Amino acid sequence: MEKREEKIMSRKKPTKYVKRFSTAFVIAHAVNAFSFFALYVTALPMYTEFFDWLYPVLGGPANARFLHRIFAVTFVTPTIIYLLFDRKGFFFWMKQLITWKKRDMDFFTEFVKEFFGAKAKPPKQGFFNAGEKINSMIQIVTAVLIIGSGVTMWFPEYFPRELVQFGYLLHNIGFGLAIAVVVGHIYLSILHPGSSPAFRGVIKGDVDVEFVKAHYRDWYDELVQQGVIVPDDKKKPKGA
Amino acid sequence: MAEFVKYIDVTKCDGCRACMVACKNWNDLPAEHTDFLGSVQSHTKTTADTWNVLQYIEHENSKGGLEYLFRHSSCFHCTDAACQKVCPESAISYTDFGSVVIDQDKCVGCGYCVQNCPFEVISLKEYKDKNGETYRKSHKCTMCTDRLEEGLQPACVTTCHTGAMEFGKKDEMIRKAEKRVSEIRGRFPNTMVYNPPGVGGTHTVYVLAERPSVYGLPENPKVPTSAVVWKDYAQPIGKMMLGATTMAVVAGFVSNKLFNKGGHGHGEEGGEDYE
Repeated sequence: MEKREEKIMSRKKPTKYVKRFSTAFVIAHAVNAFSFFALYVTALPMYTEFFDWLYPVLGGPANARFLHRIFAVTFVTPTIIYLLFDRKGFFFWMKQLITWKKRDMDFFTEFVKEFFGAKAKPPKQGFFNAGEKINSMIQIVTAVLIIGSGVTMWFPEYFPRELVQFGYLLHNIGFGLAIAVVVGHIYLSILHPGSSPAFRGVIKGDVDVEFVKAHYRDWYDELVQQGVIVPDDKKKPKGA
Repeated sequence: MAEFVKYIDVTKCDGCRACMVACKNWNDLPAEHTDFLGSVQSHTKTTADTWNVLQYIEHENSKGGLEYLFRHSSCFHCTDAACQKVCPESAISYTDFGSVVIDQDKCVGCGYCVQNCPFEVISLKEYKDKNGETYRKSHKCTMCTDRLEEGLQPACVTTCHTGAMEFGKKDEMIRKAEKRVSEIRGRFPNTMVYNPPGVGGTHTVYVLAERPSVYGLPENPKVPTSAVVWKDYAQPIGKMMLGATTMAVVAGFVSNKLFNKGGHGHGEEGGEDYE
């Protein structure tokens, strides 16, 4: 009887959270996400005539262009917000992106199994897993492409004609790649059963400790070492 | 229907500008105020309200003599028109006559055609709607397609009094141009037929007295490579990629619903991942 109760207790133990992202990051991420979709919607009828019905919704082509430029400006701000209010976090992120170990390479084969719901054993991951790093890198490259080419498209009078013409191409490649990746990014954060606890990280800034233990074992071990997390088995004797 | 070509022999032009007036007249284009440009030329180039401009060029020939060159400049009506390729609204199309026309109802005023035209003949015009909001439309020479449909010739051709311009069947006009070039080579050693292959040939074919660059024309105009890669590769591939990741996500969602009802993979020993 006692044993059973303990079993139930251990199952329903209160969730503990550990800080993952700074408020600056959370805000930067939200501004980025909102701007991205606002830009996508305001340009969608230009991308495919199938969405031409959006023109009247957006107040006509001229107004759609105007809105697109407003969101173009907000799209540039996340980097500034992050750099201004959490410089340390920004450079930690950058450093993580260029740090690649065997664990990161091993990640991908297991990821595919996991993605489709099969049992998988991904290698221990650091603060960012390899998938997150790839996502970050693609979004950084595409953002640079989109913003850089966007400037030449917005102010063609200041740039050589060839550069403006290439701007259209790079803008198209940039957002084509970005939106394709974003679909996966959002699915994994909101709908995928295993990874959705991570969503709390970009909204509230903290994540479930157990989730961290399962998904970011190397980071978890660091946190234990630093004393940020005190594992349950250290608090009370094992077994019953 | 046979394709038609507007043939222009610049060596027969006397610079009277009747073609400019006839164009304004037929197409109801308003006059534009312009400043003195240092020569008798009225506009630097074609605009949204001035679809053809007569160029006046003072050129020093190879013998050190002065050539006073004239050229009626307007849309070339390319066989492979960059403007048609880049238009996101399919507002620009080819007619049976070979002319390239803009559908003003479909045009959204984005200016892609303006930036990609190899000859820089397209311009945007700003309008105000009844609420005072501005909107833009793209304009250029239509080769008087509305006249062609009625069996008439372009207004500029009809009015030309020196016979510098003619309108007729493509092959006939090109033959005429080649013959004329051989006739005048003694007087103009650099004379040539300007019917650039980089845009698949044009429906405004010139007999030029000098190299194209003397007239400010590109020597080898072509549909910009960036426009070809953009419209023929980047855009379709981009749409395919979005489709592919969407399909992967749907497949992932379904297979998780089918095989992973408990949401496993969250165990102690293993791990799970997300981007």
